[in-house]
Formats: sequence, structure tokens, C-alpha cells
Amino acid sequence: MNSRDIKAWVALQLHAEELKGVHLKELFELDADRFNKLSVSTGRFMMDFSKQRMTTKTLDKLLDLARQQELSAWVEKLFSGEKVNVSENRAALHTALRSPSSESLSVDGQNITSDVHESLAKMEGLVQKIQRGQWRGYDGSPIRSVVNIGVGGSNLGPLMACDALEQYAPTDTQRLDVHFVSSMDGSELEKLLPTLDPAVTLFIISSKTFSTIDTLANANTARQWLLDASSCDASLINQHHFVAATGNVQGALDWGVPKKNQLLFWDWVGGRYSLWSAIGVPIALKIGMVNFRAMLNGAHQMDKHFRDAPFEKNLPVLLGLIGVWNINFLNIHAHAILPYDGRLAEFPSYLEQLEMESNGKSINHENKRINYRTCPVLWGEVGSNAQHAFYQLLHQGTEPVMCDFIASATRYKNEGAQLQEQHQLSLANCFAQSRLLALGTGALETSVKAKDYQHYDGNQPSTSLMLDELTPETFGGLIALYEHKVFVQSVIWEINPFDQWGVEKGKEVATSLLAELNEKGKGGLDSSTEGLLRYTLSQGEGSNREN
Amino acid sequence: MKINIYGSSLAAWVAAACLAKVGNDVVICDVSEGADQELRKISVIRDELGLLDELTLQINEGRLARVQHVNAEAGVHWLALQSNEQKLAAQVINSLQKAECLYALVVSQCNFSVGATADLQSQLGGSGDVVYIPDNLQEGRALEGFNKPKSLILGFDNDSALTRVKALLRPFSSNLEGLQIMSSREAEFTKFAITGMLAIRLGYVNELANLADQLGVDIGVVQDGMGADPRIGRHYLSPGCGFGGQNFHAYVSRFSGILQKERQQSLLKTIVEENEVQKELLFRKLWQYYKGDLAGKTVGIWGVSFKPGTASIDNAPSLKIIDALISQGVKVRVHDPEALNNLKAHYAEEALIAYYDDHMELVKGIDALLLVTEWPLYCSPDYEVLVSRMNKPLIVDGRNVFDKEMMSLSGIDYLGVGR
Repeated sequence: MNSRDIKAWVALQLHAEELKGVHLKELFELDADRFNKLSVSTGRFMMDFSKQRMTTKTLDKLLDLARQQELSAWVEKLFSGEKVNVSENRAALHTALRSPSSESLSVDGQNITSDVHESLAKMEGLVQKIQRGQWRGYDGSPIRSVVNIGVGGSNLGPLMACDALEQYAPTDTQRLDVHFVSSMDGSELEKLLPTLDPAVTLFIISSKTFSTIDTLANANTARQWLLDASSCDASLINQHHFVAATGNVQGALDWGVPKKNQLLFWDWVGGRYSLWSAIGVPIALKIGMVNFRAMLNGAHQMDKHFRDAPFEKNLPVLLGLIGVWNINFLNIHAHAILPYDGRLAEFPSYLEQLEMESNGKSINHENKRINYRTCPVLWGEVGSNAQHAFYQLLHQGTEPVMCDFIASATRYKNEGAQLQEQHQLSLANCFAQSRLLALGTGALETSVKAKDYQHYDGNQPSTSLMLDELTPETFGGLIALYEHKVFVQSVIWEINPFDQWGVEKGKEVATSLLAELNEKGKGGLDSSTEGLLRYTLSQGEGSNREN
Repeated sequence: MKINIYGSSLAAWVAAACLAKVGNDVVICDVSEGADQELRKISVIRDELGLLDELTLQINEGRLARVQHVNAEAGVHWLALQSNEQKLAAQVINSLQKAECLYALVVSQCNFSVGATADLQSQLGGSGDVVYIPDNLQEGRALEGFNKPKSLILGFDNDSALTRVKALLRPFSSNLEGLQIMSSREAEFTKFAITGMLAIRLGYVNELANLADQLGVDIGVVQDGMGADPRIGRHYLSPGCGFGGQNFHAYVSRFSGILQKERQQSLLKTIVEENEVQKELLFRKLWQYYKGDLAGKTVGIWGVSFKPGTASIDNAPSLKIIDALISQGVKVRVHDPEALNNLKAHYAEEALIAYYDDHMELVKGIDALLLVTEWPLYCSPDYEVLVSRMNKPLIVDGRNVFDKEMMSLSGIDYLGVGR
């Protein structure tokens, strides 16, 4: 800690020294009741952190650290709409997006809750019109395909949610295909457009600022595709084929999306926290408004838990503190996210942004450089697939890695024994891997002496997070849990998790290099970049000549 | 012969009239719900020319009676139930068994599914035979079709039935050119196959009409050319804005379901789905005409029943068109000689819909007129009056009944189906 009381931090450092030589296997042998002491169960979640390299004493000291860093006060600041995003002078009120209309919140004299519910109502009207087959394309046919154009938070959250909750798509309304395109090079559109019927395709332009170049480039391509296919004029196409989820009314209007097709959210919604807002409209289209609201409610339940539950029983607080322990005291700087559930395949990508864009910082609230580590490198994959990819490194490599195993206890209730068996198989693998990572070859009761290359050291820490089942509610809760975990860590580290200055500069540099590629630049670059430009331009000249 | 007839369908009433006329002692057992109305109030009877008179005559002559229960005395039991009344058929068989009759000949004209007749036969066991005779009713010519069929299909699984069925049908065999005898399953399949074929034909013609629209060809001319080919013939070649009705639709969907389940086959499914798309055709034409800007316009609709001659709006194209229009904030005026009460019941308090008793009154100030059901009353309107009364003289003709040339001479913008 740079600026304040550092007692709790120092205590943890000393404690880590004590625990240094103790293997997880020994910790389990020392205390038969370890699971009961180091796991928390709420209604629908169960978090087992007994496979972390810690004891109840560690937990006490981490809770001291949380108190020392005034976590409670920060949580209140977050929920009550204080400007916790200092560098941008904004609140971060994603929690208000999922708050029921009965719990009204005013910030700066503005009733935020009623704004939120007004926006939700508009979204509901639009979703129902599309789902009832009454949103019409240029030739009067009902829309059947929806393409979300967005990047970062305007893509990853909705994409992940649609993927995870597909089974909840309503069966009594018209079935919609929901697609996502994000990459600025147009690769996804190039593949997708030939498979779509332009007359029945609606595009959602998801961009908070409505200035994201990646998104606008894709939107322009999409509009040209519609203009070419329909021979209609642009204003007709804009009216019937484009919806904007944005915070910039004028920007969307200038591009051509009429106000009636705009779903709005506010500057106090960060991009990576925006799937609860109008940015979530693809989710609502996919799973229906009832399920979308259930997802919001699940997140709201987690919000209440985070705000009200004592720290020692508080899932986001514990998950955040465990991370701090591993990163700052056990020097583990890699974090693998391992859902044992194919529906959560996109969850690791989503967390890459949520965690690394939020806490990948090194300047504290007082604008000073900090002298401890913050967000680790985080990646992941569906666990059972990752077993055939990077688990080798987890088991026998040289890098310490902390893992989050995520699984639902029940699945396929009405879908037959065969699939249920597959779920059992997946769970068996999930439990086997965390066990093996923790205990090493010691987990196996074998009398045969293993050769060195067959040996597993173990002692890789992990948390297992179980859901009773994956529903819109538990899914909402899961995402909110990680959002708050990130916040908890930011409080400990005294950094602002809600800005992302590290992604701004690249855009400026790209703009200047675009000029270079068009041969209108000023030159004077480093030799590598100049070399790359020279090579590209020389290749382009060749193809121009052929044309 | 003593014959009981079960059901309230057109097929039931036609069989009753015709079987009584040739001297049988016929009892109509109204086992279907709500079928105990006066004859003249039953729309399937009223809508079929000559049927009410014939039924009344046979009742007066004492050869036809109506009861509301299963009367097991008869030797012949004629089932003409709706395709969703399979349970009633089972109940009839059940009561025959309870009555312990010596032998019952059960004739089924019900289109339940492939195998339904065989199921009834096994339920009846040794107490009689069940014979499936698919109806080949064409509404408007139903009595003639029953009295003098050109071809008949008999489907049964016990040979003992043949003599008795032939005797029963003998008075109706004077014009018979082909008598097909097959197993009950084959007969049921054949009936499905015929209905499916007709649906496919209609679907194909509609598809052709839509293409003709795009290519600027008059489908009417093409229709004549196709019909002249003896391999094709003229029947079922008129394009339109989709077929509806309870029986045909339910029947095609049912067959499509069987094909899907047994064969993963999707031809008929596509036809049914495309027909739903076709039902919105007039809306799409209107939408394109007004470039997607329909809010606040007033649109008139002539005809809402699924076809002329009935008050039924089951699966009618008009419903999809009205839904689409009111979703766009269009004020809709409707006229129909028979079906307005059904439509009112369907839409309850919908403020955007106004109901008109006079179809020429309806056109005052409207921005478009859609002809959805070709009631004869609509076929020759006074074009000058239309032009003078309509705010925008635009007519979208879903059944190609109007004269295109006359329309444009009168200054009306005319949009047909495929022309």
C-alpha cells in the first residue's frame, strides 16, 4: 500500500512466509474439516476454496485487509452512485440496471431507477414486436435474423449470454437467429452476410459512444449490403433494418438510426458492465424478455448478497480476497478460468475483458505508481477441452497458476439418461482435475513408484464454484459475482476499475497510420513500422497494377 | 337398413340425406358438442346448396331422425367426425361393445391418421367390421358427389366386410368407374396423399405467381397455358393469398407432421410454412406500395372468411393481414357478408378495427382496399364510385377477381397476385 496503514498487508506477508513450505496435501491431512471451514454456500451457489493454499488464519488476515482498505465504505459508494470512476468523473451504476422499480435510486437529482425501467419498457416493446413477427423489413416480411454489431463490452457480454442461455429461447414466439459480428477487418460479416436474407435481417448497432471505428466500419458494410440488395433508399433501410443501443442519441441520429429505433443507456454504465442495459437487447431477443428479466433479477440477488452478507460469507469478497492472496502473497500471476460446461464456452473471453480491462492498472487513486502487482494474466477454456490443451502446463509446467473451476450440479433434467451421463462424466473430470492439481500424484493411491516424468507436484490452488443449475437467474448471479469480485480487488489495490485509458492511445496511433497507408502521412516513424508500411504498400501496388 | 350417423361435419349431413333418400332408416346421433341446433342454423348445412331441403324432406318422410346419444340398434354405424374427434370415435365403438350387438358394420369417413381405422377395428374385435371410405366432398357439389361418385376407395382389413359395404353403396354406384379396394392403412394414406398433392399444387402456383410478379408476367395467361396441358389440367391452378380453413389446414399439417416424424421430410412442411408467408402477401404489397410508411393510414378489407360461402375465419389469411396492419398502427375497416361476428369475437375490443355492413360505405376515404375473400358480391363493383370515394384509389386483389385493364382505365392502382 502506498498511502495508508499497511499493517494488514505486512501481516499477510509474514503469514505467507509461514505457509510457504506447506503443501496443499498436508493442509488437507492436518484438518479433516477443511471443506466446512473453507467453503460457503448460498441458496444457489456453493464456493469451495478449501483447495486454496490458505487456512482459516489466512482468511482472517485477508478480512483484516478488507477492513483496513475500507471495503464496506467502498461498496456503499458503488451502490449509492458516488463517482467511483474518478478519472472520468462518473458513477458506475451497473447495479442500478438490475434493481427492481421498487428500489428507487436518485443520483444528482435524477431518478435513475425510473430511467432504467423506462428504457427496459422500450426494449420490451421492441423485443415483442420482433418476436411476434411484426417488425418488418423493407419488403414487408417479418424480421427473422438479428445481427449485433459491437465490440468489447458491446459484444462479449451479449454473445456469452446468448450462448449460455440458448436452451431458454421461448418456443411460443417466432424463432430468431441472433448473430454477432465485431472484428474491424470485416471477416465475420464477409462470412455471415451470404447466409442471410437481407429482407428479413435486422442489425443492432451496439456502441455506447457511437464512435467506435470497428463497429461503424461493420455497420457501414451492412448498410451497403442492404442498399444493394433492396434498391431502397437509405432512410427506408435505416428505419426498418437498424436499431441502436447507445448512449449517444445525436451520434446515432447522424449515422441514420431514427430515435424510435434507439435504445438508450447512460455514461454511468461502463462498456464491460453493460449487458444489463440496452446492450443486452440481443439477449432479450434470444431468450425472451421474461428470461432477460430473470437474469437481471439473479444479478440483483447477488448485488444484495454482496452489499449485505458479512465478509466471511460473502462470495464476491472471498473470491476477490483469494485472488489478492494468490497474486500478492503467493506470487501467482496466471489465472485460468475453467467452466466444465460447454454453455459457458464464452465465459473465459468475457472475463478476460472484465478482469484485465478493469484491473490491469498500475496507478492508484492518488495518481501514484504502485509497487505491488494487480490483475494477473487471465485466460481459459471449457475445462474438459482444455484438458487436451494446456492442462499439461498446469500439472507439470514451471508456472504456478490459480484456477477457477465452474460447474452446475444438475443438468439435462428432461433430456434422457445418455446426456445426463455425459454431464456426470464432465463433473467427474472437473472434480478429478482440481483434486489432482491440489494434491499431485499423492492424490492417487498407487503402490507403483512413478517415474519422474510421471510425477505431478500438485499444490496448484483452485476454487470450485458450483451452481445448482444454469438458469437465467444463476447466470445473472454468476456474472454479478465476478463483477463484484473485480471491484473488491480494485479496492484492495486502490485502483480505479472503471476506466480504460490503456486502450485509448492505440486508436490515435492507428488513425495516424491509416494516413500513412493512404500515403498521406508525414513519415518519421520507427524503422520497424516503416518497414511494415513499405512492405504492405509494395504488395498493394502489385495488385493495383493487375486490376 | 338401419343406419346411425355420427358427427356434425358436412360429410355427416350429406351422408344422412343421401342414405335416407334411398330408403334407409337413418338416425343422426349428434355426439359432437353443440350440434343440437336447428338444421337451418347449422352453417355447413345452410352453406351447401340443396342440403337443407333434402334433409328436411327426409325428416318429414320419416326416414331420418336426430337423437343425441349412441343408438346401438342399427346395423350400420357411419362415423363422419372431425379430425380432432378421435376420442368420440372410440366412445362410439365402446358403446357398441357394451350393447353386445351381434354384428356392426362401422363405416369411417374420419381423417384421423394412418392406422386409426385399424385401431378402431381392433377395439371392436369380433363384433363387426370397420371400413374406411375417405370422403371426396367438394363443397358446393357435395350431394352430387355422394350420390354419383366416379371413384370410390374402400379400406378395410377383414374380407367379410366387402359384401355388406357393397350392398350399402349399391344405390350410389351407377356412375362408378373405379372402385379401389385396399387395406385401411393404405386408404388412409391415399386420402392424406391426395390432400398433400393439392396443397403442393396450390403452393407451387402461389410460388409461380410471386415470381410472375417479379418478372412482370401475367400469371393468368400462364395458368391457362398450364391448364391446357392434359397432364396438368385446370383444377387447383388459381393463385391467391394463401389457403385457410380448419379442415384442409389441419389435415395438411397433420400429414406434414407424419412425414416429418417418419421421414424427416420437409416438402409439405415447406408448403405449409410458405402458405403462412403467402397469407401476408397483400400486406407486403401494401407495405411496398407505401414504402413501409403505413402508420395512420386507413385500409379497407373485403372478405374475412377463409373462403366464400362460410362464416369461418379459421386460419384465414385475413387474420394475418389484420394483425400486421394494426401492428403498424393502421386503421382497418372490414366487411364480410357472413363472418363479421366471428371476427368481432376474435379481436374483441381492438380499437383500430371498424366493422361495416355496407361494403361500398366502407371505402369512403380509405387509402387502400384489399380484397381477401372472393364473395360474389365484391366481383363487379362500380369503379367510378370507388374512385370517387376512396382517398387513394389503390386496390390489392388477393384472388385476381377484378379486371386489371378496367381498373387502370378507371384510374385505379391495381395490384393482383402474379399480374
